[in-house]
Amino acid sequence: MSGLETSKPPLLEVKDLSVSFGGFAAVKNVSFTLQPGEILGIVGESGSGKSVTCRAVMRLLAATARAEGTVALDGRDLLTLSEDELCAVRGRDIGMIFQNPASHLDPLRRIGQQVAAPMIRHLGIGKREGLQRAVKLLEDVGIYEPEKRARSYPHEFSGGMKQRAMIAAAIGCQPKLLIADEPTTALDVTVQARILELLKELNRKTGLAMILISHDLGVVADICSRVVVMRNGEVVEQGPIDDVINRPRHPYTRLLIESQPGRKSYGTAGGPDRGTPLLSVENLSVTFPAGQGLLGGFGSSNSFRALDGVDLEINTGETVGIVGESGSGKSTLARSIIRLNTPSGGAIRLDGQDVGALGGEALTAFRRRVQMVFQNPYDSLNPRMTIAEAVAEPIWRHGIADRKAARKEADALLEMVELPSSLRDRKPQQLSGGQCQRVGLARALALKPQLLIADEITSALDVTTQAQILELLVRLQRERSLTLLYISHDLAVVSSLCQRVYVFKAGRVVEQGVARQVLSAPRDPYTQALVGALARLPSAGTIPLHNRS
Amino acid sequence: MADSPILVQTAPPARIITPTMLIALVILGGWLVTALAASAIAPYDPDAIDIMNMLSPPSAAHWFGTDQVGRDVFSRVLFASRVDLLLCVVGVLPPLLIGTTIGLLSGYFGGVVDNVFMRIYDLTVAFPFFVLVLAIVGVLGPGLLNFILALTLVGWVSYARLVRAQVLTIRESEYIQAAKCLGYQPATILSHHVLPNAVGPVIAYAVSDAVLVMLAGASFGFLGMGAQPPLAEWGVMIADGQAFVQQAWWICLFPGLAAISLGLGFALLGDGLGLLQRKGVTA
Amino acid sequence: MSLLQLIARRLLQLIGVLAGISLVTFLLVHMAPGDPARLMAGERASPETIAAIRSQYGLDLPLWRQFLTYLTNLVSGDIGLSLRFQRPVSQLIEQFMWPTLFLTGYVLCLAIPPTVALAILGARRPGGIADQIIRLVGIAGLTIPVFWLGIMMSRFFGVSLGWFPVSGYGTGFAGHLHHLFLPALSTAIWLVPVLTQSLRAALIEKTTADFVTAARAQGATERQIFWQTMLPNAVLPTLNLLGVMVAFMIGGAIIVETVYAVPGLGTLMVNALLGRDYYVVQGLTLIFAVSTVLITLMVDLLTAFIDPRVRL
Repeated sequence: MSGLETSKPPLLEVKDLSVSFGGFAAVKNVSFTLQPGEILGIVGESGSGKSVTCRAVMRLLAATARAEGTVALDGRDLLTLSEDELCAVRGRDIGMIFQNPASHLDPLRRIGQQVAAPMIRHLGIGKREGLQRAVKLLEDVGIYEPEKRARSYPHEFSGGMKQRAMIAAAIGCQPKLLIADEPTTALDVTVQARILELLKELNRKTGLAMILISHDLGVVADICSRVVVMRNGEVVEQGPIDDVINRPRHPYTRLLIESQPGRKSYGTAGGPDRGTPLLSVENLSVTFPAGQGLLGGFGSSNSFRALDGVDLEINTGETVGIVGESGSGKSTLARSIIRLNTPSGGAIRLDGQDVGALGGEALTAFRRRVQMVFQNPYDSLNPRMTIAEAVAEPIWRHGIADRKAARKEADALLEMVELPSSLRDRKPQQLSGGQCQRVGLARALALKPQLLIADEITSALDVTTQAQILELLVRLQRERSLTLLYISHDLAVVSSLCQRVYVFKAGRVVEQGVARQVLSAPRDPYTQALVGALARLPSAGTIPLHNRS
Repeated sequence: MADSPILVQTAPPARIITPTMLIALVILGGWLVTALAASAIAPYDPDAIDIMNMLSPPSAAHWFGTDQVGRDVFSRVLFASRVDLLLCVVGVLPPLLIGTTIGLLSGYFGGVVDNVFMRIYDLTVAFPFFVLVLAIVGVLGPGLLNFILALTLVGWVSYARLVRAQVLTIRESEYIQAAKCLGYQPATILSHHVLPNAVGPVIAYAVSDAVLVMLAGASFGFLGMGAQPPLAEWGVMIADGQAFVQQAWWICLFPGLAAISLGLGFALLGDGLGLLQRKGVTA
Repeated sequence: MSLLQLIARRLLQLIGVLAGISLVTFLLVHMAPGDPARLMAGERASPETIAAIRSQYGLDLPLWRQFLTYLTNLVSGDIGLSLRFQRPVSQLIEQFMWPTLFLTGYVLCLAIPPTVALAILGARRPGGIADQIIRLVGIAGLTIPVFWLGIMMSRFFGVSLGWFPVSGYGTGFAGHLHHLFLPALSTAIWLVPVLTQSLRAALIEKTTADFVTAARAQGATERQIFWQTMLPNAVLPTLNLLGVMVAFMIGGAIIVETVYAVPGLGTLMVNALLGRDYYVVQGLTLIFAVSTVLITLMVDLLTAFIDPRVRL
């Protein structure tokens, strides 16, 4: 298959690599090659062994791990190197960047020192020269005022800047290969786009070969020329990116492609009926006291505006999406609607009634009408309760049924969210993330609400699981004629699911309208940037990519 | 040295009862039985004075020897376990209950109560624990009751602090937000959702704290500020024996060993519970 | 933002805590059951004597006036008068504090090297045999009553072997070192396990830290990683604990000094308590608290110096 490509000797050749921890085989007989100057993507969901594979290449696995096979860099088997030889390769010939740049930088050392350290170690240059080169590198990776920033500590950097610094540290010794392990997963989409752009540029300018590990097929398709698809520690398919995406041979690859957000339009329940809105948010502002400081703050009067004059309407039966990056205030809005935040101005009305003024019976009635599903699968369920208990609790606490009947009702609800009854007495830790989210849905629906708020409910899940949960959500919405407020950072998901969207930025609505329109013809520059940053599969071209700057 | 030695990460097997915890339970059970059945086990009356047998070394008749007025050290060590074991329970429970309640309320509701509590906390940790308890007992007058009172007065703060820290994280978790959103009453949320998740580390701490309480109790007995002679208490016995330690080391040695073994029981149990906690949290 | 601002803020906070401390120590004496004047005068004093004492000490004034007087006295450096010695408490403290300070420093010198060594040894192979032994011995070490250990050691090393004196403070630096060896050792034996546990746990936690993996990926050797990355990050929690422990040790010194008859603040405290010399107890409690606060402050500043995140 790779007959044409072997004209040059490969830079990296991984052959029959297997890694096991104790009795558990995390990676099984993985083989792939990487040519100089090439960008190879490894894509897979959690537990697929993609990170373990790359850590095995760098020999960064715990000592309990056993790695077999060969990993040859320029013909030299890395798995047989001594500790000293290995240290001379790491950071010199192979650089690596990681998923969470915040935790991979030493919090106690200045950025400049950390960027300079590998160069001082490998190139035998002095401290002063190392620092000078570090400043230059920081400039190269797009950090403003590099001289000043080199003296900063990691906690003074934003997430994107930290990843840039990690990249600077990794490329300082001009390695032959850069391994990027989910380099943009912890970052906002617009930042992600810029980091990917930086990696592409590095590849173009210096011919640096890369392995990009990602759960996101869209990201891989964006910058890689070839891709390896992994599942359960095995390679299920590999080849040039266009072949794999347009002519997938393995069913799993096909499933992965179909699960990509935005691939599928869910065609949610009928058009919005223009009547009085079910929920209306009028000129809502929420402020938080900022700068709590170390000592509880000595009269620090400045405060942080999480929401700043937001107007929003949701009609009965409608699916409304809210899109924004972290810090845009979208979660604050959700929390304000369910009265977990107190607004500093404006009002939220359900059927014309001011939600903030509710009390007693009226508040209980409100609680039954408006429910919410949360982001974190494990954190949103009480770890001490079985899932059946958790779903039954609201029913008997609200006096809708006695405890026994509530348990029955809970079983029915769990069945409705497609959870086998054998799981009913499990605790959350014994379930998968997707299963926990189903429980969260069942619990929220236990009180038969009219309006369901879903706050990033799939952001912690794998794509295939995400597709299943969205499928379920749409089905439930249809069956129970729910009104849905869907909050997400992912414009693709929102536009495939919702009829109308609101785009949030820094506590304000910057754009609103019919989902298709917003996605195809964004008016606001920020929305344009968001749309442009969508790393989508080449063939998903229902909407032409433009405005890529 | 060759294979990156610091990288090893072997977690101990995750059993509910580890061997060390089993040892701890055996020790504690043994002392409990001893305390309850002291009068049946002890060969002599712990307070019976026998001038003929003063300071006699350990022998078949007196396993741990006799003290300066001829009392049987073995019997006294057994009877003293009643005082010291009780001390552990009575010294831990009131601070535990008071501290947990205050920590729960102050962490969950925040606001003025929390501010006042934090100031009290700042103030209490400004004093060395032992000095403050000693000063309070000194002013109130020596005795076991005043010791417990002082211990409670100072000790609740660390429990409250621990619970509060727990509650602060739990309060922000999504299952508490969900509970609020489902319209549960604050009392329900506190008792059914916050407390069960906050209490684990507190129990582990309380068990370890029992060691400190016992050591403090014995120290106070030794200084003459806690249990008062002729009551058999390990600290008091050691204090009594100090003057005679050159001729009769056994008067001091055995009560000390008894205290260590009881302390070991609590410490191992607390260590095991803490380990379980940390695993439970990360699992 | 800067270290200076942090110091300024901490000093401001210090004033509040100091005011609180003085209130507590003030209330301490007034909490005592019974009439303080009668206690001072003794059981058989005449009513006139008691009345005289009352007005001499201002005990007939309302409580807040008395507190104000107490505060004013504190500010001018007067922390009370010993009833027994008829001398200012500050003089007594000055006289008795040197052995205690010497002992504290001595304990630290004895405790810190083995702590670091044992923690590193344990953390090198978590769960290994050395680690298990260190952990169990550490737990056992915590349960030893210090006063008992003191008595036993003085009996063995002092009396049986005759290597070390069993009481007193000695003269000259070498004399102090010799005399205080057993007291310092018995305290260190209790302190080492506590600190070792903390440092060991922190080290093990840092072995799996992401930035350690990153350093390894950049080609740092294990030695460099340990000394330049892991240890500085792991030392912070232990540093805080050390601050708490030094404060704890001042309390612990009370017992050790009593056992070894060291003429230090602890001995002074116990004698004052037994002799109901309340103003000495009050003054000593105040001094202990103030030194604790100052130690905590120093540790906080040291932490801020090492960890830039604290300076926020």
